[in-house]
This record gives sequence, C-alpha cells and structure tokens, in this order.
Amino acid sequence: MVTIDDLKDYASRLMFDMDSEGYERTLKEFETVEKHMALIGEIDGIEEIEPMTFPYEIYHASLRSDEAMDCLSVEDVLANSKEVENNQVKVPKVVDR
Amino acid sequence: MKTIMELRADLDNKKVTSEELFKEANKKAHEYQDEYNSFVTIIDEYKKNESDSLINGIPYSLKDNISTKGILTTSSSNILKDYIPVYDATVYKKLKNAGAVLVGKTVLDELAMGGTGTTANTGIVKNPWDKTRQIGGSSAGSAASVALGITPFSIASDTGDSIRKPAAFGGVVGFKPTYGRISRYGLFAFASSLDHVGCLTRCVEDCAIVTDILKGKDERDMTSLPDDGVKYHDMLKNDIKGKKLFYIKEITDKELYKDASEETKKVLDKFKETIDKCKELGFIVEEVSIDEKLLKAIYPSYMTISCAEATSNNSNLTGIIFGPRGEGNTINDIMFDARTKGFSELIKRRFILGSYILLKENQERLFKNAQRLRRIIVNKMNDLFKEYDAMILPTSGGVAPKFDSDIDRMSDRYLILENHMAIGNFGGYPSITIPNGFVDDMPIGINITGPQFMDGEVLNIAYKIEEHLGFKGLGKE
Amino acid sequence: MYKLTIGLEVHCEVKTNSKNFSSARNEYSDNPNTNVDTVDIGLPGILPVVNKEAFRKSLKMALALNCKTPDVVMFDRKNYYYPDLPKGYQITQMEKPVGVDGYVMINVDDKDIKVGIHDIHLEEDTASMEHNDGYSLIDYNRAGVPLLETVTTPSIHSANEAIAFLEILKGIFLYTDVSEARTELGQMRVDVNVNIRDEFDNNLTPRVEMKNINSFNNVKLAIESEEKRQIDLIEQGRANEVVQETRRFDEEKLETLSMRSKVDAVDYKYYIEPNIPPIKIDDEWINAIKKEIPMLQYDRINIYINEYGLSRYDATVIVKEKSISDYFEETIKLGCNPKSSANWVTGMILGYINKNELKIDDIYLTPKMLVELIEMVDKGEISSKQSKQVFTKCLEEGMEPKKIVKKLGLTQITDDKVIRDIVVKVLDEHPDLIIDHKKGKNTFDFFVGQVMKATRGQANPGITANIIREEIDKR
Repeated sequence: MVTIDDLKDYASRLMFDMDSEGYERTLKEFETVEKHMALIGEIDGIEEIEPMTFPYEIYHASLRSDEAMDCLSVEDVLANSKEVENNQVKVPKVVDR
Repeated sequence: MKTIMELRADLDNKKVTSEELFKEANKKAHEYQDEYNSFVTIIDEYKKNESDSLINGIPYSLKDNISTKGILTTSSSNILKDYIPVYDATVYKKLKNAGAVLVGKTVLDELAMGGTGTTANTGIVKNPWDKTRQIGGSSAGSAASVALGITPFSIASDTGDSIRKPAAFGGVVGFKPTYGRISRYGLFAFASSLDHVGCLTRCVEDCAIVTDILKGKDERDMTSLPDDGVKYHDMLKNDIKGKKLFYIKEITDKELYKDASEETKKVLDKFKETIDKCKELGFIVEEVSIDEKLLKAIYPSYMTISCAEATSNNSNLTGIIFGPRGEGNTINDIMFDARTKGFSELIKRRFILGSYILLKENQERLFKNAQRLRRIIVNKMNDLFKEYDAMILPTSGGVAPKFDSDIDRMSDRYLILENHMAIGNFGGYPSITIPNGFVDDMPIGINITGPQFMDGEVLNIAYKIEEHLGFKGLGKE
Repeated sequence: MYKLTIGLEVHCEVKTNSKNFSSARNEYSDNPNTNVDTVDIGLPGILPVVNKEAFRKSLKMALALNCKTPDVVMFDRKNYYYPDLPKGYQITQMEKPVGVDGYVMINVDDKDIKVGIHDIHLEEDTASMEHNDGYSLIDYNRAGVPLLETVTTPSIHSANEAIAFLEILKGIFLYTDVSEARTELGQMRVDVNVNIRDEFDNNLTPRVEMKNINSFNNVKLAIESEEKRQIDLIEQGRANEVVQETRRFDEEKLETLSMRSKVDAVDYKYYIEPNIPPIKIDDEWINAIKKEIPMLQYDRINIYINEYGLSRYDATVIVKEKSISDYFEETIKLGCNPKSSANWVTGMILGYINKNELKIDDIYLTPKMLVELIEMVDKGEISSKQSKQVFTKCLEEGMEPKKIVKKLGLTQITDDKVIRDIVVKVLDEHPDLIIDHKKGKNTFDFFVGQVMKATRGQANPGITANIIREEIDKR
C-alpha cells in the first residue's frame, strides 16, 4: 500500500511539495479511488475491452503539409520569460542529467 | 437582460449601439464584481471588428483558460497569475472576426479542475440567486456573468460537466457540442480527451447561433471535425413529433433514494413532471435500465482519466518560459519553487493521483481499466442512441449547494446523480443543460444528451422543450 | 568466453521544411529563437499537428530497414521534467511506431552480418542549451525538430560491427533522402548499450548505457573502453560492481564515467497522446513510398562484386555516395566495361571532385561522355595517357571529350599504310642502324622514336612497333 513517503516521492518527481496535512488528505483520496477502481476491476470481462483514448474513432484527421510558416517573433517567444539574455531564456546552470 | 436575438434586433433597429451595449456590460461587470467575483479581468476598452454575423456587436465573456493575445489569462491559478498570451485561441479569433465584443475573462476553478467555483486564486464565485450558495464550476464566472445579465453569452470549457452544471445552478443554458466540433486550440488543456469548448447563454437559440459561428475544422487541432455544412440555428424549429427520448431508471427513480433529502425528492418530482410535458409535446419517452455498477464507475473513471491527463498537460507550468519564476540556485530548485507556490493543495493532490495512475505498475489496474470502463459506457450509450434520439436526465440531485455544505461526490449518495454528465465527455456527445424551473426558489436544470455529431438535433429537441417549459431567458438581475 | 553485446539507439533529425508538430521552420542554425511556434515552447493551449512529410519519411526509413509497418500509427507522451523540454513531455511513439522488427545487413571482414532493428519511431528534438559560467541559455529553435530513433536489438558484437552498422545506417538515411545525417552538426546522435555475455548468451554483466555520443569514432572508443572496464571487473571477480546505469564517455580521459544508476530511473509514464488521432496507413501509401526507395548500399556492393567483378574496396568507395554510385551505374547502362568505369570513377573523377570539393553531378563530364572517353581508348583512337589530358581539359573548358580530341588533334594514326610509309622512310635513312639491329644491338626504340617524332606522337604505338618489325625483317 502507498505510504506518505511514497506520496512525497511522487510529489517531488512532479516538482512540488506541500504540507503534511496535504499528504494525509491525498492518502485518503487514494484509498477512495483505489476502492472504486477495485470495483471496476471486478467487472466481468473488463480485461478484454480495448482501453479507450478518443471519444470516438476519428477518421477525419489530416496531416499537415510540410510548409514552414511565419511563427512567433523572438519578442513573443521571450515575452513571458522572467530572465532573458542574448535572445535566449536564461536559467541557472543546467548540469548534465 | 436580453438574448442575442433580442439584442440583434435592437442593434439592427438602431435602438442601441454596440458601444452602448458594451458600456452597460462593462458597468455591470464592475458593479457586480465585489459581490459575485465573476471576472479575473474586466475589459474597459471598447474594441470590435466589423462583421455581418448575428453576434456582431454583442458583448460576451470568455473563460480565463482560453488564450487571448495581449490579455492576461490565468486559468485562475497562481502559476499563471501574470501570464499574458502571445497568441489567440481559435475560438477567440472567430469571435473577434464575428464582431463580438469581449467584456471580460471569467473566473474558473483553478485550472478548470473543480466543480464548485470556490478554488480560483482570486476567490470564490457566488451564485446570483443566493449569495450563500455556489454557482458550481468550473465555468463559475461564465455562468455568473450570464445569470447576472452582464453578458448574453459566455464561452467556456467542459471536461466533466464544467459548463452544464453551473448552467443548471445559475438558471441558464449551457451547451457543449460534439467533441471536435469546436477547436480546442488555445484552450488550456485539462484532460485533452475529455475537454470541450462550449457556451453558456440565456436560451437554446443563442447556443445554436454561437455554435454555428465557432464550429468547423481547425488546421491547428487534429481532432477538430470537418464542417457539417448545416446551420444549427436553422434546425431549431424542426418537428420533433415521434422523436424518442430515454432516461435512466437508476438515476431518476425516487424509490432508489429512500433516505434522500426533500430537496432531491423535489428535483426528481420536477424531472418526472418535465417528462410528462415532453410526452405532451409529442416525444416518445421511455425508461431504460443500466447496470448500477457501471453508473457508479463513471465518476471514479472520470477522475482517473482526467487526473492522469491533467498531470501531464500541466507539466509545462514550470515558470521558465512563462509564469512566475521560482526562486533558487539550481534549475530544479526554481521549477520546484514555482510549482510549489503556484498550485493550490487541491491541484497538487490531483496531480499526485494522476501521476500515480500513470506509473507503469499502476496503468493496467487504474488508467487502462478506467479507459476500458469509458468504452463500456460509450458502447452502451451508442447502442441506446441507435434506438433513441437523446437521453434526458436531471443535471443534479439538488439545487446549488451552500458554501458550507460538504458534498462528497464520491459518496454513495451522490456518486451517480451528481456525476452522470461525464458520460457526455466520455463519448464526446453533444449535451445541453436547460432550466427546469425552481426548487426552494433556486433554479434547477435538465440535461439532454444526444448521439455524436447530432448537435443540431440535440439543440432542436432542447429548443422545443424549452419552449414548452417556458423558462427561456431566465436570469437574476 | 566473453561475448561483447551491443545495442544501439540512433537519433537522427529528419530533413523537412517545418517542424514535426508545428509550422515553424526546421532550421536551428539560425539566430536563437527565430524559428519557434507556440507549440514548440509548450504555451498553454497548444496542440500538436503532425507534419505529413516527416511522417512519410519515417515510413520510408522503416521500409528501408525492412521493418513491419502497422495499419495504424499512434503517438505517445513520454513525461519528464527538463529545461530543454518545454511541454514537460516529449511526443514520441511507443505502442504503435512507424516500424518494428526489421533488420539491416552489414559486412565486416568479408562476413555478412544481420543486425536486428527492434523498432524505429518518430519523435521530436529538444531545445538546445548553451552552458556558461553559472547559467545556461535556452534556444528553442531545435525544439520540435522531427527526430527518428532507430533501436537495434542486442545483435552487435564488436566495436567494428557497431561502426559498420552506423555507416550503413547513415548511408540509408542519405540514399533515401530522409536525413542529411551529419554527425558533426549533431544531426545524428548515438546511445550505446553494452554488456558482456558468456558463450551461452547468459549475461555476465548488466546493461550499461552511454548516451548522446556524437561521432562514430567516439562510439568505437566508448565501446572499447566499456568492454575493457566490464571484462576487467569480471576477471577481478568484481562483476557485481557493474551496475545497470547510464555512463558518460569522456573524450579526453577515454573512459566512461557514471552518471546515474537504475535507482534514479525515471518512470516516463508513457500514455497515448490524446491530441493526435491514430493515423491509418493503407497499402497504396506504403507501395508508393516503397517505389521511392532506391537500391541501397549493401545490395549495390554485392552486385558490383558479384556481377561486375569489382573489388570490395572499389565497390565500397563507389557506393559511399549515392550520386557517385548512380553515375557509375549509368555508365554501365550505356554499355561501358564496369572495371574501366570503376577505375575512372574511383581514380580521376573522385580525385578531381574531392580536390575541388564538388559533387559528381556538378562536373561537366556526364556518364555518357565518360563512356565515350573510355571507348576512344579501347578502340585505340587515343592513348591512355592522352585520355587523362582530355579528361582534365574537358572539365576545365566544359567541352565534350570528342571535341577536345579533335581540337587538340589527338586522334591516333592507326592507318597501316600511312604508318608504313613513314617507317619505310625512317629505315631508308638509317641503313647502318638496321645492320646494328641485326647484330643484336638495340636500335628498335630509336626507330619508334623517329616515327613518333614524324607523326607528333599520333602514331598508334602498337601498330608502329609491328610495322617496324615487319619492315626490318624484309631487309
């Protein structure tokens, strides 16, 4: 079963943290969801159903023709970034993963 | 407050100018802001394009999760509290081209992930009919903006019931067309496979007018549908005699809610009265039974799918290219800080759940089973739609909840009655909520959902029922 | 026995006008952030739209690698946080990529080897970063550039095989025009997985991954150093110290260094990209694409060796570039002797275009002209030495070889009577030397020289020698 430490690990992999009550509440929600999902898992023959991503089969999607079009200006690309240098977004030094 | 067509007539007869309409809307927006908190941004400058569309010169509001170039768009979250988009959503572009006049950007539940209108970073949205009550969400400000008579229509998004629920609680009309009918380009994604753009209006006719303008293929959205070549506005008055509706016994049968509140019982009685009225109109209405186990699985599956998609869709919110920059010495620290400060706890809990659902070891049991359940429900509905033209159901088991009420949508009592509208998102069905009168002086709604691509037919059915019920143009002003 | 086992993951940028999921220009050497669309920086509300050409080229590559192509192709999201990935996920293909289960034939030390292709999938490149003292700068021009990842099965067993595979793969990219595959520009990047097995294919060490190696030579060095490291540890009884991890190849120290271990492994939470509907692939489309794939290097080499009698070395040199190989084949079609053509192509022509940094299609000498030039030599109309002069003049002056021969008056004299008259005249003038000749003294070359002098070198040397011999014998 999932523990508070697991939740903290999930949160940190999602790049955030919260206070301990938050994790307690999350744990309760997990239990509810697991309980409900367990019932779904018991539905007869569910494992044979193809999981559904799209609301219906989409036949009409067309691919884009390969034409380069005008896109954002450099100013627009950088408009919302808080730190910019040499027309690039500036961040603390990134070390190799 | 008038409908689009009434305002159209006034404008065409020169009884009023578009600018006057805008100024009046702007004034009301400011007047009501402290009391109801409908808006994140109120536009004070009158700006419009020329057009000969039916909405030319008509004021409207736009949910604050729809991208508007040069206008703050926050999704009611601190993580985007200073974000000014550099591009227009396709719907916003179409509205501008049609000559509609933007009055303001409306408050939503943070990142559209909520159904109460209480989780925006700028505070709660109040119900115009009773300030001690919620308006519902996530399109809370949009519903309030229409219910308060500030704008005759508002454009919003619907992932579970985010247009159709607040429409019911606000006594207005809320419509989301078939998935893909309206482009999602520029709608801040919550759960892409369930997200729809739609509208809130004072009457069904206005929904048809607005949808006629917004629909169509968008080269920016691969899931957008090719134009169906019809005007829904022209279909509203079609004869509905002999059309077949169904409702689901397991949702509407009062016998199944023995210990329910008086309020719920009244809502269900009202629903049955409306069914009788539908029969008077010439509809064939039948009761259909669906395995309760499946119905109870709708909300958990909805939560599972939507949280999973949401955690991925919102991974772009790191404060690097846009949004408030976090503090810290390393790249990870600044992302971490931005996200820790930027999201409320509720959002974080949903993201954690969503990421857990997507973990390799959980996908089969959680994510894929939820997607399988989705298919079971959609198959079932598609089968029913072979026989019936639409499904009709109450939008909720009660009136708009009080702010202090503690409704757990996962509890047995509410599990089905409060959450069935997600069916419309599972199958991408056209689905509309219209007012169904009052219970305890608060408006309630009914929902009509039809087969995929039959948007005009659903609007036609809703129009006829609205006409017969006589609650057109409801509103509190 | 230690069996080195290698799997490769090769990323290669696809040559298109626009990016994979947006209409921004696919050209990242421009000024920073000038080829960026809303989609490429993951602004809220954006949706990907698949580039048809990138998609078509991926299918082409899949077919060229003998892969099975599915009826329906889907895209998936790979979720992780990194500053070069603006959306927080990369759109890639996991469940239904453009190709699976293919193979490529390579030849190493005259042995044919089949390298398995696990799959090939279309994805998007990340932003590029410039690292400075204390900070980094991000340029999004590269973000969203179409990227094809080719994943081999662990069917490679030496550094040389790995390089041979990479060369062949690069050749396929070039022959099919899917990519320019320029490693020096980072267009082609290689991840290498290495472990050691015993003769029964049991793993003696776990798989170690080395990421983002940007030259084939470094791939070779990385494999060799990792092979040595793993075998050394096995022999010291420390095989358990080899852990499943990602290592980085240090070009200066010539060794691999640990980056992160399995414990830190990221669960990428793959799931189907909900904004890209499944793309149906019909037979008609596949057949049309198949027709566009030319014969590839491996098959050409085999034909050149087996049917044309070329050496493997020459064959390999010729197929290195498709345009050269096509040029060569054109001459064969025109009836040229393959060996003569190969000599010209690998010798004079390659020498000339390499020296002048030209493409073979840019030079004046067409395959037809080369064939004519070779025929003139074969028929004895000009000497082999003269043909080289003609070749140079032809390229310098942009004039057909035949015209040059005429202009320079290079045509050989092969008419028996004309030569015989001159020979008789020369012999008549030097009766004493004929006597010397008959006494065994070598004066033959003198006579040849005199004939050549009289004809300004145009007399066919073979015919001339024969006639001199005949005329001396008569006296």
